[in-house]
Amino acid sequence: MKTMKNKEKREIKRAKELDKSEISEMKGKDQPFELDRRSVYKCVQCGACRSFCPVFNVVGWESANTRGRMLIIKSLLEGRHHSEDVLPSLASCTTCGICAAKCPAGVNPPEVVEAARAQLVKCGITTKVQEKLRASVITSGNSFGEAKDRTHWLSDTERSQLPEKSDYVYFVGCFDSYRYPEFAEKTFKVLQRFGVTLLPDEQCCVSLLLRTGFGEDAEKVMKRNLEQIRKVGAYTIITSCAGCYTTLKNNYPEELHVISLPEFLAEHLDELKLKKLDLTVTYHDPCHLGRHNKIYEAPRKVIQAICTLKEMKNIKENSRCCGGGGGVRIGYPDISLELARNRLEDVPEGVDYIITSCPLCVRNLRDAGGDIEVIDIVELVAMAME
Amino acid sequence: MDITAELRKIVGVRLSVSPSELYCYSSDASQVKGTPDYVVRPKSTDEVSRIVKLAYENEIPVTARGAGTGLAGGAVPVRGGIVLDMSGMNRILEIDIDNIQVVVEPGIIQDALNDALIPYGFFFPPNPGSSAMCTIGGMIAYNASGMRCVKYGTTRNYVRDLEVVLADGTVIHTGSKMLKSAAGYDLTQLIIGSEGTLGIVTKAGLKIAPLPKTRKLVIASFENAEIAGQAVVKTFSNGVIPSACEILDRVSLQVLKRYDPKLVLPSEGDVLLFEVDGTENSAREAAEQIIEVCSPLALSIKLAESETEMADIWAARKLVGAAVSRLDPTKTRIYVGEDVGVPIKKIPELLKRAQEISEKFNLPAMKYGHIGDGNLHLVLFIDVLNKDEWDRLNQVADLIHRTAIELGGTVSSEHGIGAARAEYMKAQWGPAFEVMRAIKKALDPKGILNPGKLGL
Repeated sequence: MKTMKNKEKREIKRAKELDKSEISEMKGKDQPFELDRRSVYKCVQCGACRSFCPVFNVVGWESANTRGRMLIIKSLLEGRHHSEDVLPSLASCTTCGICAAKCPAGVNPPEVVEAARAQLVKCGITTKVQEKLRASVITSGNSFGEAKDRTHWLSDTERSQLPEKSDYVYFVGCFDSYRYPEFAEKTFKVLQRFGVTLLPDEQCCVSLLLRTGFGEDAEKVMKRNLEQIRKVGAYTIITSCAGCYTTLKNNYPEELHVISLPEFLAEHLDELKLKKLDLTVTYHDPCHLGRHNKIYEAPRKVIQAICTLKEMKNIKENSRCCGGGGGVRIGYPDISLELARNRLEDVPEGVDYIITSCPLCVRNLRDAGGDIEVIDIVELVAMAME
Repeated sequence: MDITAELRKIVGVRLSVSPSELYCYSSDASQVKGTPDYVVRPKSTDEVSRIVKLAYENEIPVTARGAGTGLAGGAVPVRGGIVLDMSGMNRILEIDIDNIQVVVEPGIIQDALNDALIPYGFFFPPNPGSSAMCTIGGMIAYNASGMRCVKYGTTRNYVRDLEVVLADGTVIHTGSKMLKSAAGYDLTQLIIGSEGTLGIVTKAGLKIAPLPKTRKLVIASFENAEIAGQAVVKTFSNGVIPSACEILDRVSLQVLKRYDPKLVLPSEGDVLLFEVDGTENSAREAAEQIIEVCSPLALSIKLAESETEMADIWAARKLVGAAVSRLDPTKTRIYVGEDVGVPIKKIPELLKRAQEISEKFNLPAMKYGHIGDGNLHLVLFIDVLNKDEWDRLNQVADLIHRTAIELGGTVSSEHGIGAARAEYMKAQWGPAFEVMRAIKKALDPKGILNPGKLGL
């Protein structure tokens, strides 16, 4: 009975959350909504995505599943007047991509949704949260609007000893810089022996800007990062954030050699001399590392070099989203956490840690309040190096 | 009366009148369109009853909807009104293994029900291609079936009891847990396949079946569909009843291979998939018998080597219809004329005539289907940005429907009539259609339940 009541309460809360997608401004109201029609018309409305969309699973309305989003986008293309009432649907997609993995017709809904969001931005339809985020990235170079130095977690000596030129750049990302500096420290320590350096004035990778439709703004920030990468002369960019990884690899205008931390660790296992730990852990595949970039084996190889891996119920291509991506955590925190709680249901019994390789996943899964500690893969590696 | 306020009193936040939301409920997987005025997501029989009563008193159309995976517009509110999204009523209320039955709410997804039954060693056999997303309520409303109905029958064969909300809000039960009854009209069977035009199903008591110990798959290819058809007739007349018997034409094969290049399928001809199930011995014997009977006619014939190989083929087969865009990204599958059925013996003729029609209109067609029960799924795909292709598509679909009726068949074997095939009901049924009209009038005098469907 109590559970039923709680469920109802949560339902009401979520409904309110979707309702208050406050519109920011309407300056581009008369702009046409344009998109590659074929990418949308490929959808046959079969509904195969319906059973897998994690947001729909929590929200329950058709507009909150992939097919609904595709329908709404189709309607805008066919001339239905665009208004803020499309936001709860189009802004609530985590871009986790499980729909793309399951779509028999080969549609890529996350790409379509991101393109539609860009059109909405052009038409002046954004949420206040989105606008705030954009302003943070543009003015402070990070998604949190933090004013302090990105490398605050380094000692002055360490900072002064950073090589000006290097083959390797460790791209720290906003999350590890400001929310999990302990991950940044540990990652840097592991990578230091390979002569890695940092960008002198690293900026946000612009993942969030791109996922939420601010392509033009994103380009300016990307340029700042690219100039520095060129100056350092780095051949390889290593990053420990799944969001940064997919953005640097797939969205930057220049082809960069980007490698995720788990891949780098897996390649250098012999040199790391890791000791075995008497632990059993499970691994959560971050959507932007796993499904979007097919990096499934590297993190598992690293974990299995250290301890026992017991898999979650849904893994790799079928892995369920933590709810943190696509701007959903910031726009719809209750829905986002509900997704994380659902993901925690996949954790097997008898594990000491939930390991993942994305700080957004760490935060969401931690905030969902399970009993098992969620840590980044670098923390496990650090334990095995002590 | 302020209907929005009244509905809100019943379902609270589970009501929407937002234009975007209403738009999402204005279609299913067919080409039928119709926008509702309200969408509600009820959670109980009581809520459904109160909503329907409100609609009855105010003469507002009510259209029930499951997962909206239908292919005939059955869940599309063509006259507006209220859409009842039943997918939130998705609990399994009872698993009664002693009586070999389950009681479920209509919104449960077919695969979810079967996942829950596996630990007990049972399953709910009707398995449409959409089993991963379609609801049991939708399956009941359209008498859905799928690949295994050749041995196991359709949804109709598994429903023992239905809780139904009638047009005025009255709640009735149409049966019980009894396996048989000789007491009056069989209302359960009347409701099954009635597409939400006679009442709204809010609970269902279903018979389940023991899971077979093993399944085996024979894959055979033939020079043409006609010879494949002969092989099927020969198999049946030799006393083998496969648990599935499917045909895939050349184009379907290409699509399947594009969908999953690892699939082990013949590279030439039209292909038959025979599945047999039972104990290890009985399934092996049946498979061997099929191989023996079909070998003289086949270009190639083999037994699937592993369970994974078999599972991969079935998984891909289930989604083949939608996968055509992978062969040509400019083409999209449009579900029209996709579900005709004819007596098994007429299948080769239907295949031949379907080919002639598609060639006449210069519209490529992919053909696959449940050859074991006479059900052919014709896949038409067009460039949706080309108006001429739309015109030809509709002409082809019309001719296919008329051909099926001419061959003594049906315009729909398992997807339903909805609004998409309503115009053929009279041609298919003749005077029997007037009996259907009379039943509709008796149970829904104000015509509020899913109006505009079944040609009524």
